[in-house]
Amino acid sequence: MKYRWMKTENCFSGARTFEYEFPMAGEEFLSFLEGWEVRVNRKFRRPVFSATRDGLEMKGILASHVVKVNFTEAGWEQEKEELEAWLEGIGPEGGLE
Amino acid sequence: MNGCEQYIYMNNAATSWPKPPQVARAMAEAVEALPGAANRGGLRDFDVFGEVRRELAFWMGISCPEQIALGCNSTWGLNQAIFGYPLEAGDVVLFSGAEHNAVLRPLFRLEQKGIRTVEVPVNGGGRLEPASWERAVREYGPKLCIFTHASNVTGAVNDAKALTAIGKTAGADVLLDLSQTLGCVPVRLSDWGVDMAAFTGHKYLLGPQGTGGLYVRPGLSLSSHMVGGTGVMSDLKDMPAKMPLRLEAGTGNEPSYHGLLAALVWARENSAEESDWRTVFGKLTEGLLGLGCQVIVPGGETTPVVSFAIPGVPAGEAADILIGSYDIILRAGLHCAPDIMKDIGMEGGTLRLSLSRFTTKDEVDAVLSAVRDIMESGGV
Repeated sequence: MKYRWMKTENCFSGARTFEYEFPMAGEEFLSFLEGWEVRVNRKFRRPVFSATRDGLEMKGILASHVVKVNFTEAGWEQEKEELEAWLEGIGPEGGLE
Repeated sequence: MNGCEQYIYMNNAATSWPKPPQVARAMAEAVEALPGAANRGGLRDFDVFGEVRRELAFWMGISCPEQIALGCNSTWGLNQAIFGYPLEAGDVVLFSGAEHNAVLRPLFRLEQKGIRTVEVPVNGGGRLEPASWERAVREYGPKLCIFTHASNVTGAVNDAKALTAIGKTAGADVLLDLSQTLGCVPVRLSDWGVDMAAFTGHKYLLGPQGTGGLYVRPGLSLSSHMVGGTGVMSDLKDMPAKMPLRLEAGTGNEPSYHGLLAALVWARENSAEESDWRTVFGKLTEGLLGLGCQVIVPGGETTPVVSFAIPGVPAGEAADILIGSYDIILRAGLHCAPDIMKDIGMEGGTLRLSLSRFTTKDEVDAVLSAVRDIMESGGV
């Protein structure tokens, strides 16, 4: 699927945080997260999820098309490349306007 | 307000919001009108910068508005002061552990030029204690002392008069960072004997971003950190000696200064002291403590800023939930003041809520309810 990303402000030490937007909501995105440690909390006003694997963390609102990704400080460039390659191979064809 | 009504805005220590409606109107009118210097500063022109200086002099408690140089923010003012102050290799600059990177990073540059910088830790509430400041002043004999009037992390307001007097015992000049206080708590630079003070327009003065600057006491001459056109004395090779021209190179941010002027005039008629912010802020702090949060409580005078942690939930995760699930705008992390984190025992960073005079009790209730939700479910 197509996506777009933007680096976000983050005031924590060593943070490498990016937002990704793609043409599916978090709820649907969960079905692609095999192999990730996924947590979901539906008690909040807008339910949320997080998914972690090898130090990489993705978080988002289940009803939102935006996911926040925290890469590790040491390996963020390679992790970002790998994540984006994976995103391109999943989900619906086409996508963002 | 342009679709922003859903948000509960508690990030006023970064940028205040909302602004008095006069601010946006003044800025729009300024963009549409002829530039202020269209007639080269004659009687037909409106000198917005001069008017802002006069208003700021009132807020700062000084009688010489021409000593205020106007730029784009506190960082501009702090850079002008730190790099423009006459220091030589071997001189000592003393500063507090609560400083923002707008002070820390210029000082790092000075260190590389052989100037010694010495940090004085603050207490667990983020306040610079006169006793520890006095010990350091006596031990190091600084030429320049720098401290923030209030911590942007904990809200602790420092006793600027006492700390300035202590710096003077060593013959030091004192640079005060007013970023977190001007417009929120009383400032009296002349009474306190402060030599330089940096300020910004976009926080508690309720003006727009892109406004701020530096006060320099009469008789203290800084070298110009930036040089360029001044509109007058163009035959000089260097910047004019006279303030404020000495520090003001290039065209100023006229529309934003019209906005700041509108905010300052509005604030004169609507004092923050007459608003209910202390009550609302007290409700927030007590509510967080009541929920079992780890709250930094400085005691004494504070700005409406509180840092806290939710036990068992990383600050970044809690912030993401508060913003994404509850539309509560706050900050999490080091808040550009990394050194204070060790002193207050929060080395990983904090959650920070910062209120304004416009924050309501209902908004505080909504925040406390959201924090309770996070505590009960332990985060995601």
